[in-house]
Amino acid sequence: MKTINLYKLFLILGVIVFTVSCTDDLDVIPQDDDEFLSEEFYAQPTAYKQALAGIYGNLSLTGTDGSGSSNLEGIDAGTSQYARTLWYLQDLAADEPIWSYENDEGGAVKAIQRNTWSSTNSILLGFFSRAMFSVALTNEYLRQTTPEMLEARGHTAAVGGDIDAYRAEARLLRAMAYYHLMDLFGKAAFVTENDPVGTYQGPEYNREQLFSYIESELIAIESDLVDARSNEYGRADKAVAWMILAKMYLNAEVYINQDKNTECITYCNKILSSGYSLASDYELNFLADNDSNEAAQNEIIFGLVNDGVVTQNYGATTVIINGEVGSLESNAADLGAEGWGGALRVRKQFAQRFLNGDVPTTDQRNTLLTEGREIEITDVADRDSGYIITKFKNVTSTGSAGSDPTFVDTDFPMFRLADVNLMYAEAVVRGGSGGTIAEAVDYINDLRDRANSTQISEGNLTLDFIIDERSRELYWEGHRRQDLVRFGLFSGGNYNWVWKGGSANGIAIGSHMDIYPIPANNMTANPNLTQNPGY
Amino acid sequence: MKNFRIFLFSVLFLFPLAIFAQQTVKGKVTEATSSDGLPGVDILIKGTTRGASTDFDGNYVLENVKTGDILVVSYLGFKTQEITVNSTTINIMLVEDTESLDEVIVIGYGTTTIKDATGAVSAITEDDFNQGNIVSPASLITGRVAGVNVTTDGTPGGGSAIRIRGGASLGASNDPLIVIDGLPISNSTAGGSRSILASLNPNDIESFSVLKDASSTAIYGSRASNGVIIITTKKGKQSFQAEYNVKVGYQTLANKIDVFSADEFRDIITSRIDGGQTGISVDQLGTANTDWQDEIYQENITIDQNVSVNGMLYNKVPTRLSIGHTKQPGLRKTSKFERVSSSLAMNPKFFDDHLKVNLNANLNFEYNRFADGVEGAALTMDPTQPIYDSSSPFGGFFEYWYTDSAGYAQTMNAPRNPVASLLQRENKSNVKRFYGNVELDYKFHFLPELRAVVNLGYDEIDGGGYNKLDVNSANGQQPEGTDFLGDYSEYTSYKKNSLVDAYLVYNKELENINVEVTGGYSYQKFEAEDYTTNSLIDPDDAEADYTTYADVVLIGFFGRTNLSFFDKYLLTLSYRRDGTSRFSKDNRWGNFPAAAFAWQIGDEDFLKDSETISKLKLRLGWGVTGQQDIDAAYAYLGRYVTGTSVSQYIFGNSTYPIANPQSIFEDIKWEETTTYNVGLDYGLFDNRIYGSLEFYLKESKDLLSEVSVADGSNFSNVGWQNIGNFTSKGIEFAIGSDIIKKEDLNVNVNYNVTFNQTEIDELAAGQDIDTGGIDGGTGSSVQVHREGFAPYSFLVYKQLYTTAGDPIEGAYVDLNQDGVINTDDRYIYKKPTADITMGFQTNVNYKAFDLAFNLRASIGNYMYNNVNSSRAQYNLLQATEALGNMPTSVLESNFNETSEVLLSDYYVENASFLKMDNVTLGYTFKQANEDSAKIRVWTGVQNVFTITNYSGLDPEVFGGIDNTIYPRPRTFLLGANFNF
Repeated sequence: MKTINLYKLFLILGVIVFTVSCTDDLDVIPQDDDEFLSEEFYAQPTAYKQALAGIYGNLSLTGTDGSGSSNLEGIDAGTSQYARTLWYLQDLAADEPIWSYENDEGGAVKAIQRNTWSSTNSILLGFFSRAMFSVALTNEYLRQTTPEMLEARGHTAAVGGDIDAYRAEARLLRAMAYYHLMDLFGKAAFVTENDPVGTYQGPEYNREQLFSYIESELIAIESDLVDARSNEYGRADKAVAWMILAKMYLNAEVYINQDKNTECITYCNKILSSGYSLASDYELNFLADNDSNEAAQNEIIFGLVNDGVVTQNYGATTVIINGEVGSLESNAADLGAEGWGGALRVRKQFAQRFLNGDVPTTDQRNTLLTEGREIEITDVADRDSGYIITKFKNVTSTGSAGSDPTFVDTDFPMFRLADVNLMYAEAVVRGGSGGTIAEAVDYINDLRDRANSTQISEGNLTLDFIIDERSRELYWEGHRRQDLVRFGLFSGGNYNWVWKGGSANGIAIGSHMDIYPIPANNMTANPNLTQNPGY
Repeated sequence: MKNFRIFLFSVLFLFPLAIFAQQTVKGKVTEATSSDGLPGVDILIKGTTRGASTDFDGNYVLENVKTGDILVVSYLGFKTQEITVNSTTINIMLVEDTESLDEVIVIGYGTTTIKDATGAVSAITEDDFNQGNIVSPASLITGRVAGVNVTTDGTPGGGSAIRIRGGASLGASNDPLIVIDGLPISNSTAGGSRSILASLNPNDIESFSVLKDASSTAIYGSRASNGVIIITTKKGKQSFQAEYNVKVGYQTLANKIDVFSADEFRDIITSRIDGGQTGISVDQLGTANTDWQDEIYQENITIDQNVSVNGMLYNKVPTRLSIGHTKQPGLRKTSKFERVSSSLAMNPKFFDDHLKVNLNANLNFEYNRFADGVEGAALTMDPTQPIYDSSSPFGGFFEYWYTDSAGYAQTMNAPRNPVASLLQRENKSNVKRFYGNVELDYKFHFLPELRAVVNLGYDEIDGGGYNKLDVNSANGQQPEGTDFLGDYSEYTSYKKNSLVDAYLVYNKELENINVEVTGGYSYQKFEAEDYTTNSLIDPDDAEADYTTYADVVLIGFFGRTNLSFFDKYLLTLSYRRDGTSRFSKDNRWGNFPAAAFAWQIGDEDFLKDSETISKLKLRLGWGVTGQQDIDAAYAYLGRYVTGTSVSQYIFGNSTYPIANPQSIFEDIKWEETTTYNVGLDYGLFDNRIYGSLEFYLKESKDLLSEVSVADGSNFSNVGWQNIGNFTSKGIEFAIGSDIIKKEDLNVNVNYNVTFNQTEIDELAAGQDIDTGGIDGGTGSSVQVHREGFAPYSFLVYKQLYTTAGDPIEGAYVDLNQDGVINTDDRYIYKKPTADITMGFQTNVNYKAFDLAFNLRASIGNYMYNNVNSSRAQYNLLQATEALGNMPTSVLESNFNETSEVLLSDYYVENASFLKMDNVTLGYTFKQANEDSAKIRVWTGVQNVFTITNYSGLDPEVFGGIDNTIYPRPRTFLLGANFNF
């Protein structure tokens, strides 16, 4: 009996000792096939391009697990998409589109399109955090891809030839994010790859500091970037860096109170001499195959990839095309999307730009549908009022529908050649050197010829003409607010479009609204950030 | 497995149940009042470990007894007697112990008695359980315990949200820890299962212990902040006993939301057109009269049966086997819950009772059919349209559709026929769950004061199912240029939870001092994996994928000392050191101490002889508990996640699943809750009136919150940090009485009331956290966590009214007086949690009849009526390409535009209520003789009535946002119990 007891005792003690030794079990590691420890991930030579795809992906995708997933919180996943929030802040806030479902995003959409936003607006948070996520992704990429780390992992041979371009592209996307933040918010927290990961609070950079940082960064990476029109579709090349520089110089008066129209012309010329050409048909830029058709090859300088199968997101083009489907028209099939019952329409002032006789109504850029509709929108929720457009489509140039009726294949044309033509002309008119009025008129007429519109003469080329022509050519492409600010037409009362300031006929808004407030959450999380004046 | 169950069942029936040995002393144990024989009474020879139990008739035999030996006769609920042996036949009469002070309460890693308990512990045993249509175990204690709120949803076999003293966390889970026979279970539901407790048969439960204060919960350390519920299942008994219970119910729809009837709808359309509303036309009206709410529900029969057998197996092993079958079609058409449960308990003792073995094994199956929530469509679907339409290509169901230029049917942007949505979907699951434990309790031969206990627990859930949509369904996939193709997907879900507890207990009775010391170790590991095919019909859906979740490992070392001086002064000290895999090496260990002191004032000389006060005990408790139950499994590690098949980026012609680094938070650690508790247990007039009074204060600090982090420095804009403080305080009062206690008439009443108040003291940077997403606008929310207010308070605009008291659409008070009405003008108006909750139960026994009912009240809880706020506006008569119906409450508000009014305080309503959950009336037949079965038949109603001012369907919606719920059925019940 005694031996049995001792045996039992030892058994119990044995169990105890065994289990005590299990405290190492507290070190758990990822087991899912889609999740890796960082070092484990970078042990694969393919990781470098995948992580680069992650930085590019942040321009279209909101997370790693489908359209409903998001790296960000405090805002609906789809509403936090890079190009979509950019589009809300640049276009919906101005005189072109209007969104019917105003209570979306807790009324944040309403506040943007009626210019009644405050620092608690979640769309502001969405773009600010999304752009800063680009910064964080690039910083992490630069930390993980130094030559020393490649060498240590034995990847120098496999990846070394491409890594300089990869790193330069990552820096380009970081600079682009800062460019957008500079334009929209006038400031941002400055964080680089040399700062720690975790809860580091970067210092505030104002417009001047951001301007000079972005400028120097883009010039510094120029040599490492792939030559214009030489990279794989979807990846950025030298022309993208030039494009950002040209746009910064064009807006330099706004950003840093300096005239840099000459520099703008310099960089426009670089792009114009790089072999780009206008697609034969205006529409090709906005179709489901705008990643492969003639526009993709010749006109689009930087497109944000969308695909109804592999790159599903509720981003800009999905929202635009589904939004274009009218409440009365049953035109879902024409647009290749199921549609959301008339979510998007246009404001009166925009429609009149095509209808007031400045251009023939046959101008191909005019995609208005007016039949059975009033031009006026007296009640924003009445989706049968106001005109609608059909500029973007989820249909290919050969007429077949995109691969999915919800998630469109249509890429968002972030930068395209037509904008360069217009920037060149504007910088010349504004007195920049390095270009001529005659060439400017030619560049404008190239656009108008392509659209089967009327030609202009030198006498027509005024700033008033250019701001309207930019709208006719580039509407709904994420430029409008920036353009109106540059022309002094956004804030104040010089130009009141419908629902500006929340009033049906439009009212003046304060000049502080030329830049957005720093979102409240982002500011509390980083006390180095200070609020913009007026908010 | 089915064969295995049949085998076990046969084994129990076929083998001899008791073989009596030589006898020296025999007799019969009877109940003093009724003279009925008492089965299962333990008779022990004092100072030895030898003894016997009475058989079914109360007879016992005890061998090798010497004259002068003292027999200790004990039985739960009766006063223990000691009898000196002086003859060979000793009949014993046991007297019911009204005080039940020795009633055993299961606590963490051990047991105590009501008398010795030092913490705020409530034990609810089988006799006190709620009756009626109990499908889910948590319903057994709804309203029974002060400070415990159980909100059970209306789905068949549906889950319950349980909150003890209002919870203690913001970002982490507020669910209490549930422990079944020593095995803490995971509070996440496996795919395909209705809820974490759905597979557990309530008939197999012997008792619940609710541990409310930290002095009792701290032994569970890191998981105890929200209280602990210990479920003990029934054990094997020595005497033979068989039981068969059956109940049959008829479920009906208790209430509907008022929407316009077909004729009213025709009138409203006409009058709105006359009034100038555009976009709608009488041409859109149909000719049918359909009440879509009636059509999506079904009245149905539910049935629940349970058979259990108790007895000695091989004359050695007290064994209980129970088989249960529950079949509950849901109120919503097609939904169904079916459970087959089998439970085996074996409780043998070896080596002269030195080694006690408790084995519980449960093998349960759930068969579910889930029905989509189509209430929204039923509310908005045009009542003048028919259910069926012979010309429809959608299986003969009416739908809104047209034929496109290619000849394919296309659906319009309109509500889908909710009846078709239900009938054309087959969403079924099977879940197999095996759980149980083996507890070895060894009392050392050379040192009987010392026991070693090892408890091995295991819980494995294997679920899976498919979701199939008929090819004729208008909800199906329709790739470009095809007909509708229906839909189909499959999934599996696997969870495993394993536990090893080992501890030593030293118990020594000295003169005037009782010492019990417990010390041990606990290891628990949770594993989980899910699989989904995603849509196999939609070519654009993500590819099939396994999701393997991170293991969660919890390791604890614990100790407890109970000291009792003069049986009057009780001191409990406990300590736990817990480690979790969720935190980094530097932060993963937390220490959780607790202390409690109790004073039996009633036993002091000055009260001992009081006629009024028969019991008075003061309890003081303090303790620290923790919380780590967040969804981040290892936020301290640098990780990358790669994209699924639909989250790739394209370079040139190649696709690349994107790779994103994941946020890293190296410094997160336990959140800690300190609880202070003062309790008073009292008994008056020989305990005819009894109850308790508790005061508590819970302070949570270092709350695990997902807070904003400085952009650019991490890989999200929010992340886990330990920021925030939170206080909850309250008073709980319970009183019960055997008001009438006569031979023919017994009336017992119980009442409890809880006052609870929770407030957020501090948030990260004082920053609000928006929560409570609602319908009516993508990404809109109506609740907020804000410093100085209760969690989940409503954040709304202050509605302006006309002098006549009618709300003015879109007109709000400019609270910050900046001349603009924007989100900054929202203010906090009310909260979803109740200030006061009450429970009241009555049991009446008159002769052979028994009557029981319970009432539950909740006062000061508010609800955001999202049913109305997102639907009851005139412009929604034409929200889509079809006409839309809406709640008739629009007649009161006269609102037109949803976006103008969505966040108005107009929609925050007082949802205080009084509910009668259940009433049952039973009759017990007189037994023809002692061997015949004891039979009781009963009838009852579940969900009897609700009294409330809330305008919606049901004022009880967990979370305070009512956006259509699965209605709780009213069930009429008939049942019978047979005891052999």
